[in-house]
Amino acid sequence: MDGTLPGTDGTRRDMTVQMLTTKAEQAILKTFEDNAARLPGGKSVAELRRAAIGAFASRGLPSRRVEEFKYTDLKANLREAFPLVTGGAADADTTHGALGSHFGPEFAANAVSVVDGRGTSSGGHTFLADSKAVSMDWVQAALADESLAASADLLLNTALFTDGAVIDVPAGADVADPVVIVASARDNGLAVLRHIIRVGKGAKVTLVEVERAPIAAGLRQSSAVTQISIADGAEVVHIKVVEAHKGSTHLGHWQVRLGANVSYKPFQLTLGEGLVRNGLNVDFTGQHSTLDFGGASVVHGSGHADSTLVVDHKVPHCTSRELYKTVLDGQARAVFQGKVIVQPGAQKTDGKQMAQALMLSPDAEFDSKPELEIYADDVICGHGSTAAEIDPDLVFYCTSRGIPTAIARGMLIESFIAEAIEKVEHDGLRDALIGIARDSLAA
Amino acid sequence: MLEIKNLHVKLEDEDKAILKGLTLTVPKGEVHAIMGPNGSGKSTLAYVLAGREGYEITDGDILWNGESIIEMEPDERAAKGVFLAFQYPMEIPGVAGLTFLRTAANAVRKRRDMAELSTPEFLKVVKEKAAKLNIDFEMLKRPVNVGFSGGEKKRSEILQMAMLEPSLCVLDETDSGLDIDALKVVSDGVNALRSPDRAMLVITHYQRLLNHIVPDKVHVLAHGRIQRTGGKELALELETSGYADYTGKAA
Ligand SMILES: Nc1ncnc2c1ncn2[C@@H]1O[C@H](COP(=O)(O)OP(=O)(O)O)[C@@H](O)[C@H]1O
Ligand SMILES: [Mg+2]
Repeated sequence: MDGTLPGTDGTRRDMTVQMLTTKAEQAILKTFEDNAARLPGGKSVAELRRAAIGAFASRGLPSRRVEEFKYTDLKANLREAFPLVTGGAADADTTHGALGSHFGPEFAANAVSVVDGRGTSSGGHTFLADSKAVSMDWVQAALADESLAASADLLLNTALFTDGAVIDVPAGADVADPVVIVASARDNGLAVLRHIIRVGKGAKVTLVEVERAPIAAGLRQSSAVTQISIADGAEVVHIKVVEAHKGSTHLGHWQVRLGANVSYKPFQLTLGEGLVRNGLNVDFTGQHSTLDFGGASVVHGSGHADSTLVVDHKVPHCTSRELYKTVLDGQARAVFQGKVIVQPGAQKTDGKQMAQALMLSPDAEFDSKPELEIYADDVICGHGSTAAEIDPDLVFYCTSRGIPTAIARGMLIESFIAEAIEKVEHDGLRDALIGIARDSLAA
Repeated sequence: MLEIKNLHVKLEDEDKAILKGLTLTVPKGEVHAIMGPNGSGKSTLAYVLAGREGYEITDGDILWNGESIIEMEPDERAAKGVFLAFQYPMEIPGVAGLTFLRTAANAVRKRRDMAELSTPEFLKVVKEKAAKLNIDFEMLKRPVNVGFSGGEKKRSEILQMAMLEPSLCVLDETDSGLDIDALKVVSDGVNALRSPDRAMLVITHYQRLLNHIVPDKVHVLAHGRIQRTGGKELALELETSGYADYTGKAA
């Protein structure tokens, strides 16, 4: 039984909800009541938040009975919710530390940093907590996007976000340096961010989101939702690096809308032993656009990494590519759910996905669930999935050349994950991502 | 000197014996050819020399320079100078050829108490050796053997061999899949490595290769043992008569 069970009357149903609310859910509801008055946004945003927390209260955290969370039962796994961080205590100059050593200084120079849930340096952009930014029409429209009411992790974000980057790339702009958003927060806190991005017609930009806890960090919880609307002819590379350690949780979601002739290349790298969810919804709303998704994760010990994609081909002549690779040791678990919807009339859709796991331990688990919902007849859609151990023949080939077994295995594991990271074309970014993955593999 | 003594080999998870008392000696400075019908165990011998898992030595021994190698891991054997050029070289997606070559070369150099090659030194040596084998240097930036033609893979094996400077070279069907020009390039590469300090075991099904890499001795392997040993003219004889004499019941 859970909170969604229909009751015979309102009172009884509320009682049911009350009884079955988990400790974490109760803490989230209380956090909202404690902070609602201080959360940014005008009256309309306050109304959105109130509606979101109401919906959250009746649904609760998603359990495995919610299809999108089939393998990532947040209700069971999120034992408690930390108090919301709303700025202040942490050292404002943590951007460099949060980026880590693999990103060169050029990435830190213009970074948008958010510390403890509050923007600290904007790198020339604006923050959602600014009353001017949040009241802009396009930002308001984004916040009101109904698709964000789809699941409780997103409702939680709407109810509680304290800040986030607002990035407006004008039509025709060719932004040379990557726009880097770095989020860091204190231990034992819940950080909730919303980033809102608009890319104008024909613009080119590379966006990078980084959220990495230092190795010695304590427990952290965070939710980050990025909404991005990409106009006709724009080219966007969108990268995320999440590193969460044991006991920490990150719930991420990207909600993306593509116009016509757009090239959108998202890449998500997930590391560590925490619980990480990366949701990605991409809507094709204009013809001849391309989505080229890459995902890689290195999950250790009792860690859990979930990548759940929903790609909605609403119009004809669009292409989607998804490649996900994960390396799992101990009892680590990775989840890849890739849903491709081809709406009636979306002819000439070309959608392919591949998910591959390298299992370093017999106790690791990989759950791969492709889902094709095709309502058009002239389409090419395909998917594949593999889970395998390191190929002993390849280890032999390397060792027969004098390479010691441990180094050979390391090389093969790195090459497995690097195949996904190679999708990132920017040299400096790719090298940084490979360096970060290598460190995690060696950990 | 390579001494294979009364070697009996079977697959680890099957009872079928493949090598049944194979005895063979290859002194340093000599090139010996092993010829035999398909399925006679030539590759098995090559793999067992290199130390591949999955085979069980039920009797006999393999000595390299007087030392038994059968308990050694493949990388230890490589450090001692053993090199196998594979019949079917493997593709390693995601590992660039240059990275692979450098890791391997420096791993064996370290174990042989030689200084590791610096990047410029390494690149200079690779460029030279690749050019001699008609290997486009750009190809080495790509993942090991991925998308290579059969001939390119074989040349890449010989390049690895040249880089590792082994003292025991085992070449398993290096001629298969090569056209005549590639055969010549590969043979020149192998011949360049002939030296008084090296022993070579050249495995082939066809005599053709032995026109280019002229052996000191030719052995015929069938039914798990060496059935006959002769000079290079034995290869020519097999070319005309075929393996019919050896494919019947064990002698
Ligand atoms: N890994 C293996 N699994 C199953 N059978 C094998 C394996 N290796 C060798 N064999 C068998 O052993 C015999 C010898 O094979 P091989 O050494 O490849 O011969 P050759 O190289 O002379 O053609 C063949 O019958 C082959 O099928
Ligand atoms: Mg063979």
